[in-house]
Amino acid sequence: MPFADDAEARLVERLVQRDERAFNTLVRAHEARVFGLLLRMIGSRAEAEDLAQEVFVQVFKAIGTFRGESKLSTWIYRIAVNLSKNRGKYLRVRHAGQEDDFAAMDERVNLGHAKQQAAVGSVARPDDMAAGKQLERIVQHAILQLEPTFRECLVLRDIEDLSYEEIEAITGLPEGTVKSRIHRARGQLRELVERELGERIA
Amino acid sequence: MNDPEGADGDGQDDEAVRDLLQRSLRKRLYSPNLLAGIQHRIRQRSRGKFFANGWSVRQGGIGHVWIGLATLLLVAIAYCVLGPIDLR
Repeated sequence: MPFADDAEARLVERLVQRDERAFNTLVRAHEARVFGLLLRMIGSRAEAEDLAQEVFVQVFKAIGTFRGESKLSTWIYRIAVNLSKNRGKYLRVRHAGQEDDFAAMDERVNLGHAKQQAAVGSVARPDDMAAGKQLERIVQHAILQLEPTFRECLVLRDIEDLSYEEIEAITGLPEGTVKSRIHRARGQLRELVERELGERIA
Repeated sequence: MNDPEGADGDGQDDEAVRDLLQRSLRKRLYSPNLLAGIQHRIRQRSRGKFFANGWSVRQGGIGHVWIGLATLLLVAIAYCVLGPIDLR
């Protein structure tokens, strides 16, 4: 197998042999990022948790087909993105009109604080922390309003901080399309956030 | 949808949005412990046959050999404390 990393090759070998400790190691190493990715893609903690568990079940079932042509984490992300697309379609039909977890967060915070956070940054005092939450809510809500194909590229690039090559491997899209979708997604997101804040993002 | 290829994704406006996303969302999220739920699903769907050791539900804890040895030790201690029973 063309693995770039010996340790990863050994781990995969143990996974193929269905070594329970190797499975536990894999889950602990990747659960936080997989859950975070799914939460940003779907917007519901309960759905993200359920889907993250399903991702690892699928990973374990399909580990025999992993050939080491990409990093193991990239392959896991690919499964996560594909499952989140399917779940997203299902949820849009089933729960049309319902609020996501972020929209349901406390909205009593002064919007002026969130505007300051959008312009400046660091979060320290309780007021600032509340404003940071408010800004997170606004941004997350905007992300969920993006077209799903744009959203996945944006989340992978700007939140998960993956390289264009990794995003190509995960989505199966050519580089030009990935860059184009990220660019468009940023434009759409900017409009949505600015509309909510009532001012331009500096 | 047909995407126009080759769009530059690193303009000044793009950088501002990327910066906003990183500041507002790239913090460490509270992540639930998924392991127990995953183990449960795998065991349920495979009827306990998935992992190489067949039925174990341990997560790297005490082995069966140690449990057996501890049981034998307890029996030996009990025998020493109570003493051999004289049947005569």
